[in-house]
Amino acid sequence: MWSSSNKIAAGDVVITWLTRDVIQPFVVTPGKDLNSRYGYYRHSDLIGQPYGSKIGSRNGKGFIHILRPTPELWTLALPHRTQILYLADIAFITSWLNIRPGSVVVEAGTGSGSFTHSITRTVGRNGKVFSYEFHEARAAKARDEFETHGMSDVVTLTHRNVCKDGFTVENVADAVFLDLPAPWDAIDHAKSALRKDRTARICCFSPCMEQVLRTVTSLNETGFTDITMYETLIRPHEVNQLPVLPSIAVASEKLKKSERKREDKRLRQIAQARAKHTEKRKRSDDEGADAEEDRMERKKTKTRNGTDEGEATTQNAWVSATTPDSLAGGDASTQVVSRVMPEVRGHTSFLTFAVLLPRVQASAPDIESALQRDRSDLSSGLSQCD
Amino acid sequence: MTDLVTEGSTKPSTTPKNATDRHHIHEGDFVMFRLLNGEVRSQQVNRSGAITLGRLGSFNADELIGQLYGLTHEIVGKSLKVIPPRNMEDVEDTEATNELINDGMAVQPLTAMEIETLKQSGVHAAEIIKKQIEAHANYELKTEYSKDKYKKRKEAKFLKAFTTVEPTLFNVCEYWFHKDQTRIRDLRIDTLSQMINLANIRPGGRYLAVDDVSGLLVSAILDRLGGDGRLLTICDVDSPPAYPVMTQMNFPQHIVVPILASLNWATAEEDYTPVALLPDPAQESIKSDKHRVRMNKRKATSNLLASARQELFVGGFEGLLIASEYEPMSILERLAPYIGGSASVVIYSPHLQPLTSLQNRMRLDPQYLAPSVTESWLRRYQVLPGRTHPTMMTTGSGGYLLHATKM
Ligand SMILES: C[S@@+](CC[C@H](N)C(=O)[O-])C[C@H]1O[C@@H](n2cnc3c(N)ncnc32)[C@H](O)[C@@H]1O
Repeated sequence: MWSSSNKIAAGDVVITWLTRDVIQPFVVTPGKDLNSRYGYYRHSDLIGQPYGSKIGSRNGKGFIHILRPTPELWTLALPHRTQILYLADIAFITSWLNIRPGSVVVEAGTGSGSFTHSITRTVGRNGKVFSYEFHEARAAKARDEFETHGMSDVVTLTHRNVCKDGFTVENVADAVFLDLPAPWDAIDHAKSALRKDRTARICCFSPCMEQVLRTVTSLNETGFTDITMYETLIRPHEVNQLPVLPSIAVASEKLKKSERKREDKRLRQIAQARAKHTEKRKRSDDEGADAEEDRMERKKTKTRNGTDEGEATTQNAWVSATTPDSLAGGDASTQVVSRVMPEVRGHTSFLTFAVLLPRVQASAPDIESALQRDRSDLSSGLSQCD
Repeated sequence: MTDLVTEGSTKPSTTPKNATDRHHIHEGDFVMFRLLNGEVRSQQVNRSGAITLGRLGSFNADELIGQLYGLTHEIVGKSLKVIPPRNMEDVEDTEATNELINDGMAVQPLTAMEIETLKQSGVHAAEIIKKQIEAHANYELKTEYSKDKYKKRKEAKFLKAFTTVEPTLFNVCEYWFHKDQTRIRDLRIDTLSQMINLANIRPGGRYLAVDDVSGLLVSAILDRLGGDGRLLTICDVDSPPAYPVMTQMNFPQHIVVPILASLNWATAEEDYTPVALLPDPAQESIKSDKHRVRMNKRKATSNLLASARQELFVGGFEGLLIASEYEPMSILERLAPYIGGSASVVIYSPHLQPLTSLQNRMRLDPQYLAPSVTESWLRRYQVLPGRTHPTMMTTGSGGYLLHATKM
C-alpha cells in the first residue's frame, strides 16, 4: 500500500499539505505541473526529494509540504463521493471489532473508501477485506483507487446490493462493518458471512436513533449478543499565547485616575470661572492675591504627577508576581491557553456493536436438559441456543 | 449438517493447541472472568490448578484449557458446563404497572432458611429462582421490565456462572482502565485507538515508543504489528521493562520476542558509553566452564545492547508514540532526530496543559508540521427495548493527544 521508500518517485501517490483545510492527493507524473495560489511547481521537481519535504515554488509564491500518504491523511484528502468516516470512529470501531493483522473483514457500502483504506492497512498482507457497493459508478471509482494505491491484493470490491443479495463469502469474516441506510436488512447476511468457530463481531454505523433501535432488534433476533452502543468524538483545541490577565488592581487604579481627572477638570473649571470673575475686578484689585492662587494650583499638580508614576510601578509588580514560573514558551507577561474550537462536530453516528458466539454443543449428557428447558422459559436471560 | 460437529465445538481434542492461536485458552494464560454482576477478575490458568472466583467457589483449571474465549460457563461441582449466552431480553411493557404493588407487603414468603435447605438438597439455581417467583405474591402484577429486573437480580445471586473475556486490545484496555486507572495514566481505549491509527501502525513498520503506561501502549503496537516489524522502546529502568499489561494480552512469543527491543534514557544517549560496552577485564582470564558461560551470556547481552543502540542512532523510524511521565519536550528533543520525514509524532497526556505548552513551542519549530491538540470524547449507551439511554455514570475524560508530522 503506497510507497515505503524515503524518497519520492515518479508514479507515487503523494499528499500535499497546503493548509489544514487544503490537503490534496496527486500522482507524481513527470511532465505535469501543479499550479495553485500557493505557487507553481513541476512534478519532476519532487522526484528524488525525501518525503516530508517543504518545497519552494518556482515562481516564489509560496511553498508546499509533500507527505507520504497514510490512511489518516487519505481520510482528510480523499475526493468525497459520499459521507465518510473519520479518525475517531474508524479507530474506535477497529479496536472494538478486534481488527488486526490477518483479520478478514466484510464491509458495506464502500462509499468513498475512507474506512476501507484504514482497515486495509491494519489487516495487512495476511488479511482480507471484502467491500461491497451497490452504486455502480462509485464502485468503479473505488476499484480504480484501490488499484492505484496498491491495495488490490487485500481488498476485493464487489458491485452488489448486500441487503437484497447478501455477501459473496460465508463463514470466514472475523468482523462485519455496515455503513448503510438500512443495516437491519443486511444482518442476516452478515451472520452467514461471519465465522462460526470463534467469537465474531459486528458494527453498524447509523446517524439516527430510530435506525439504532431497528438494528438492535434485528441483531437480537438474529442471535447476536453483548449488544452495546457508543458515540465517540474528537474535540480539537485551539492553543493561543495571550497576555496574562490583568488584576482588578489595574481596573481600580484606572477608575481612581479617571475620577481624579474629572475632579481636576471640575476644579479647573471652578478656578477658571473664578478667574474670569476676578478678571472683571482686576482693574480695581491689587495683584498679590492672584499670585498666591497660582502657587497653590502648581503644588496640587505636582502631587498628582507623583501618583501617576506610582501606579505604573504597582502594575509591573503585579504582573511578575502572578505569572507562574512554569509557563513554557513566552515571556512572563504572556500565558499559553487553550479551548475547544468554536465550531466542532457534535455528532457523527451511533456505533452499535454486537458479537456472534460460536454455536455450542450441549456438553454433558443431559440429565440437565429437562431443567435446561425449564430454565430457558423461566429465567429469560438464558434462552435456549439456536 | 456436518459442520455442526466441529462448529463451535469447545472440546480440547478438536482444537489442536497452537502457539499462534489467541482465541482459545492455553495453559499459562491470564484469563479475565466476567461475573454475572459485571465484575471482571483476572487469574492465571495453570494445569492441575484450581481457579477460585470468590462467592462462586472454585473449579479445576484444566476444564478451561482448550476452551474458546467468550463462552459462558456454569460451575457444577468442580467442573464446568458451557451454557448459552444471554440474549437481550425482548421485554415488551404490558399493561401491568407498579401501581398495585404495595411496597410494604410480605412479597417473598420463601425464607432464607428455606432457600438454604433447598440449596443443601442440591436443587439447581434455576429451581430456586422458579420457587421464589412462584412464592412471590405480586409477581404477575409486575411490569415485564421489573419482572426482568427481578429475575436478573435473583439469577445473579444464585447462578454460579461466568464468561471468559477474550484478551483483545479493547477488552484488556477496559479491564485495566477499571482495575487500576492510574497505572495506565488514565489512557482510555478510544484515545489509545486514535494513537495507533494516527501513528500508522501497520505490519512491517518500524516505530519508537515511550511507554510509562504499564505496557498498554506497547501492547497496542505489538498487537497491530502482528509479528512483523520493529518496536524500540525507551524506558527509565536499567533492566528490560516489565510492561505488566502485556501479560494480560497473552501474546505468543513470535509477536513479541523478535519485534520488541528496549533501551533506557542512559543507554539511548549517543555520547554515553554504557558500562556493558566497555572492555571487560574479566573476559581475559577465563577460569572455568561456568565462568565461560557467564561471560558468553554477558557478551550476548552487550551485543544486543550495541545493536539496539545502533538501530536507534541510524534512525528513520516511521512513528514516535509517547505516553510518559516525563516532560514531553525533553523526550521529543532526544528522539525526534531518529524519526524519518513524514513520520507521525503522537503524544498522550492525561492533562491538557503539558500538551498546550508543548504545542506552543512546536509550532515555532519548522520540523513539525501542524501540531494539534485534541481531546477524546466517548459516551456509552444502555440498549434495551424502550429503555435506551446514555449510561448514567461515565468516565470523565479519556485524555488528550498532540499529533504532528515530522518534516
Ligand atoms: C455513507 S457511504 C459509506 C462511506 C464509507 N464508510 C466511507 O468511510 O467512505 C454508504 C454507501 O453505501 C452504499 N449502499 C447503500 N445501500 C447499499 C446496499 N444495499 N448495498 C451496497 N451498498 C449500499 C451507498 O451507495 C454509499 O456509497
